[in-house]
Amino acid sequence: MNIELVFQIASLAIIVSVFHTLLKQAGKEEFAWLLTLVSIALVLSMAIRVISDFFDAVRSMFHLY
Amino acid sequence: MEVVQIAAFGIVSVVLLVLLRQQRPELAIQLALVAGVGIFAMVVPKLFLILEVLSDLADQAGIAPAYANSVLKIVGIAYIADFGGQICRDAGENAIASRVELAGKVIILLLALPIIRGILDLINSLLR
Repeated sequence: MNIELVFQIASLAIIVSVFHTLLKQAGKEEFAWLLTLVSIALVLSMAIRVISDFFDAVRSMFHLY
Repeated sequence: MEVVQIAAFGIVSVVLLVLLRQQRPELAIQLALVAGVGIFAMVVPKLFLILEVLSDLADQAGIAPAYANSVLKIVGIAYIADFGGQICRDAGENAIASRVELAGKVIILLLALPIIRGILDLINSLLR
């Protein structure tokens, strides 16, 4: 179940890096950076959800309140 | 076998990570985070059983639940601090990693103080 998340993030990152170089070649430097920024925000939202589940699991397991 | 799944998961995510490290290092860190949590999620049910057995043994051995509980907390805090520190170290930020681990140590020491005090009081009462 978590392997899909890894694949999602990896594929998104590869696509974004390809588009980044593509836009850089086309001379649209700022769009490239904008695209990278948006992708970081998107992946961060996924990662934050995963981290909060992880911290909840550890907290409940070790009675860390 | 469970361990085969975990090893395969690790290898696949490492391959993707190496690929990402050159182009997009910032996304590589998040991928490392998600992969680490994914592997931990596979071990969680087993870890839960182990902790249940350990706390039962502690009760049978007559250890005060307060001490057993704080030992469990210390293990949890150590694990989280280590996890955060390692992620920072992966990203190349050794300074921040050592800060995170220092904070973890301070919190653990804070939790360990009552136990230490309890033992010292016990020793004093025995000697007197």
